[in-house]
Amino acid sequence: MGKEVSESCVESLLTEIVSSYGTRFYANKPDLAARRIEAIGYQVGHQLSERYTMERPRFSDHLEAIKFICKDFWSELFKKQIDNLKTNHRGTFVLQDNRFRWLSHMSIDPSPENSGSTQDPSAVAENKAAEAASMHLYFPCGIIRGALSNLGIPCAVSADISNLPACEFLSFSALN
Amino acid sequence: SKGMQFFGGSEISPSPPAPTASGNNAHMMYVFNRNGICLLYREWNRPHRTLSAQQDHKLMFGLLFSLKSLTAKMDPTSSDCKFSLIIVRLGLVGIWELESIARLFELLYASRNGGGDGEVNCKGDSQGNVRHFAFLTWFLAEKGNLGVPQLPGQGCSFHSFRTNTYKLSFMETPSGIKIILVTHPRAGDLREPLKYIYNLYVEYVVKNPLYTPGTPIKCELFNTTLDQYVRGLG
Repeated sequence: MGKEVSESCVESLLTEIVSSYGTRFYANKPDLAARRIEAIGYQVGHQLSERYTMERPRFSDHLEAIKFICKDFWSELFKKQIDNLKTNHRGTFVLQDNRFRWLSHMSIDPSPENSGSTQDPSAVAENKAAEAASMHLYFPCGIIRGALSNLGIPCAVSADISNLPACEFLSFSALN
Repeated sequence: SKGMQFFGGSEISPSPPAPTASGNNAHMMYVFNRNGICLLYREWNRPHRTLSAQQDHKLMFGLLFSLKSLTAKMDPTSSDCKFSLIIVRLGLVGIWELESIARLFELLYASRNGGGDGEVNCKGDSQGNVRHFAFLTWFLAEKGNLGVPQLPGQGCSFHSFRTNTYKLSFMETPSGIKIILVTHPRAGDLREPLKYIYNLYVEYVVKNPLYTPGTPIKCELFNTTLDQYVRGLG
């Protein structure tokens, strides 16, 4: 469908977005940077869901829409489907990708920095690493939120990367 | 024809070349960038250490720099070569005759401009002394431009040397990244494994959003895949 772009270019661009917003445009304001990045993701997800549902009938319910995200939408973006979908049937969905493509090159510095803080140094290092890594999740979260809201499911999306390279996206919405 | 080396397209899980034999690990590995910063030093087997880490890295980088320059300049097939295989036999005692000096220079210049087969053989009628030998050495060093490094991809490239106790294999990329692998002396040609290791570097270091270029490599994924791969090297 249409033209293609090198994957390395896309990944480099995403890395640079996080770096620019985090260290230049909104330096020392990580919340603002995160919101801007998520907003960009929202636009992208909105437009992509429009494009990928062009010749399809409307979805009958929220579950069908979520399944579309997990299968066709995810395949278009990441060449694979979501590996596991869980729901509590009350509006919360958990989309689990066992090897999230945009995080597959990411690894954290294993050695703790020597800081003079009273906190346990390995915990400080882990926190910093987790914070740095989580900045890279706002864009995909925004994409999912934009896509779902375009399909009639306004929601909030967050991500959990306690098991790299696996990633869990959590979508919270009001009951249908 | 000698062109730039191109490193093949990489995927997330590049498949490694089949190991030549099982068992022995490599001893150690260095990665330097074009500025001489040691990005990575990994050690799997090194019983004796005489220098501090910093001195060791400097020594290794300096050694490679010299070897690369020297081997490129000594390339007998290069039309760019200044002094290839010059054999000058000088008598230690004697009076310089102007004629002899002129002839010696004539021969040296001929070889420098690519004349003949690059071999200058002065014997018999050339007489010299120690002072001339010193002059000749200076001449070769200065005029031969032994200090100027080759551009990556230019000229011939040294890729390994072997001693009775170890083999050192070397690879330099066009971006100036140098990978050095020290193994046991019976190791085969490690150029393909070095290219594979470079691909691991691209996938798990260069493409790691949390890595700052030019700083020491502390990427867990790179370390673990590297260790795994090196374990399988012959």
